[in-house]
Amino acid sequence: MRIQDLHELPKLRDGLSYLYLEHGRIDRRARAVEFINQEGRVLIPVASLAVLMLGPGTSITHEAIKTLADNGCLVNWCGEEGVRFYAQGVGETRKGYRLIRQAELVSDPARRLEVVRRMYQFRFEEELDPALTLQQIRGMEGARVRRAYAEASRRYGVFWMGRAYDRGRWYAADPINRALSAANACLNGLCHAAIVSAGYSPGLGFIHTGKMLSFVYDVADLYKTRLTVPLAFRLTAESPMQVETRVRHACRDLFHRERLLGRILDDIDQLLNLTRPMTRGQADLTVDVDADPALPGELWAPEEEDDTVAGGVNYGGDDS
Amino acid sequence: MVVMILERVPASLRGELSRWLIEPHPGVFIGHVSGMVRDRLWEKCCRRRDTGGILQAWSTNNEQRFTIRTYGDTRRAIVDFEGLQLVCVKPVQNSRK
Repeated sequence: MRIQDLHELPKLRDGLSYLYLEHGRIDRRARAVEFINQEGRVLIPVASLAVLMLGPGTSITHEAIKTLADNGCLVNWCGEEGVRFYAQGVGETRKGYRLIRQAELVSDPARRLEVVRRMYQFRFEEELDPALTLQQIRGMEGARVRRAYAEASRRYGVFWMGRAYDRGRWYAADPINRALSAANACLNGLCHAAIVSAGYSPGLGFIHTGKMLSFVYDVADLYKTRLTVPLAFRLTAESPMQVETRVRHACRDLFHRERLLGRILDDIDQLLNLTRPMTRGQADLTVDVDADPALPGELWAPEEEDDTVAGGVNYGGDDS
Repeated sequence: MVVMILERVPASLRGELSRWLIEPHPGVFIGHVSGMVRDRLWEKCCRRRDTGGILQAWSTNNEQRFTIRTYGDTRRAIVDFEGLQLVCVKPVQNSRK
């Protein structure tokens, strides 16, 4: 049974952030998505879940993936805690105006630079001088990130040699690097889910460029030093044992306390100046495509005042 | 809000619980009490359940907005997935020879 009306799906900010599973099978039975292992069957609340993280020893069926995609739940396959592969559904909206706006901004160098500046400004306490070049800002940002790591290292007394990990050998990395990787996997997953859920493209990045997840890296970087870096150092200082699972547990509480799921989309809209819809046409869509995704969309008509004419209409006139 | 579900417990326990919470369905109780009273009711039910099962759920300020605990014989267990409480249905014990 497909979701007919997207309004049935809880808003991202009201939902659950992520669920990490390993060693079991994910299947669909009697319309429920369930995780099965020797212990029994665990029912997964997919409609309110943003990200499902599948660790080692999991297998998932065609029916389960279909249901997850339909319910706007992002799936990450993680190889030993690091994310290896993503599967995304179509998100929880059929409205295209955010994607159009994102593409417009990314394609125009001057407007793209404005967004990039706003993204950097978002991370700095002090006002950035408009005279600074992008190269200078990048230098300041590099120094800021280094300071954040050094400060967290000093505050929690965790030895810090720099970010180092071998993608092929998870357990070869030191506990702090594993903690950071696990925390960032959660943060990136949530940012990715938020981006898809609102109808943006994960591939059209502003600061990052050239990869299918460039925009995910842009958004995750807004929060890293404030959220996941201190958390990873704090938990590693407590104990080097089982850092990954403890980090994921702590991330859940932190993201809830910081209302991250509610903030991500507001922050993106702010950075892309999308707090107001682009044109009158998008502001009061005569058809709500989320109530019925099968409704015809509008046609582009630059001569019209709101740039659109109704779709699903034959404009051929009367040829009798 | 507090929800309690009692299965196969003495009638007197259900009767007593109805002084604090309403019982819209046999064995299902809903109401709003303080944290301390909630714990007292929980202990009372655990003491006097006989062989029955008890479930208590109440609103909290975590991601799920509630917490659940169970006691006694229930075929479903609450499992914690790194801070997310989900329900595990245990496999049926086949009594085949």
